[in-house]
Amino acid sequence: MLKKGDFFIILIVIIMIAVSFVGVSIYKGWEDDGHKMALIIQDNKEIKRIDLDAVDESWEFTVRGDYSNTILVERGRIRFKEADCPDKVCVDTGWLYKTGDMAVCLPNRIMIKIEGKPEDVDIVTY
Amino acid sequence: MSSVKKTVLLGLLISQALVLSIIESWIQIPVPVPGVKLGLANIITVVVIVYFGFREALTVVVVRCVLTSFFGGGGWMFFFFSAAGGILSTMIMSILYKTGRNKFSLTGISIAGAITHNIGQLLVAVFFMRDLAVAVYLPVLLVSGCIMGFFVGFVSNLLVNALKKTKMY
Repeated sequence: MLKKGDFFIILIVIIMIAVSFVGVSIYKGWEDDGHKMALIIQDNKEIKRIDLDAVDESWEFTVRGDYSNTILVERGRIRFKEADCPDKVCVDTGWLYKTGDMAVCLPNRIMIKIEGKPEDVDIVTY
Repeated sequence: MSSVKKTVLLGLLISQALVLSIIESWIQIPVPVPGVKLGLANIITVVVIVYFGFREALTVVVVRCVLTSFFGGGGWMFFFFSAAGGILSTMIMSILYKTGRNKFSLTGISIAGAITHNIGQLLVAVFFMRDLAVAVYLPVLLVSGCIMGFFVGFVSNLLVNALKKTKMY
């Protein structure tokens, strides 16, 4: 059922997958740094910055937009706890605890990502 | 083919694509990455490309996206995501089918379509979030596109052959 040209397509796809895997692991390794800062970004604006290593007690807060998301913060980790958006991909992502980890709520245009030391903020691209 | 027949058949195909999209939205996929989905409606897109052509396929895809964001309750954000992916993949699949249907099977064409669909969605996500970090989803989206593109191509092949026997088109 497969024809000659299909192998060409499959070859290109395999190369793309390999390159993107390498690219992403380099990007994540780049950001790897002991001190973890969680950035909460909504509509391209940073609305909160939490030093995850300095959290003593877990707490949560709600971010509103077209939908609302509840974000839970604990020592060293952060997650979307609840959301009223249709797909709930952000909640399914679970805990974020490594630098380079990220969870996105596209319907509400909210993103949480973990970065290294505060000096590295210029990595954020606007 | 008379224009009435064409209108009726395209209307049927759009409603089938809509139903497939809605059924697909009920199925939970255990991959927490935005944009990973089955892409069942792509089966219809492939059939329209084979039996009608690029312009008809584009119409079916855009109308389907409008209707799914209306019925699915996703709103205009979802429309942009699905439309960007849908238009891009329809273009690629039409080009591949027109120029090289002897070289590429429907499975290969559908894999290419699924991957360009996911890339299109990701580009829209990067645009909306104004942050390249969303691109870390690319590997997962490529792999899932590859797998689902294969299955969609396989099913489309069966469907195209079955429809040939009906002599409806």
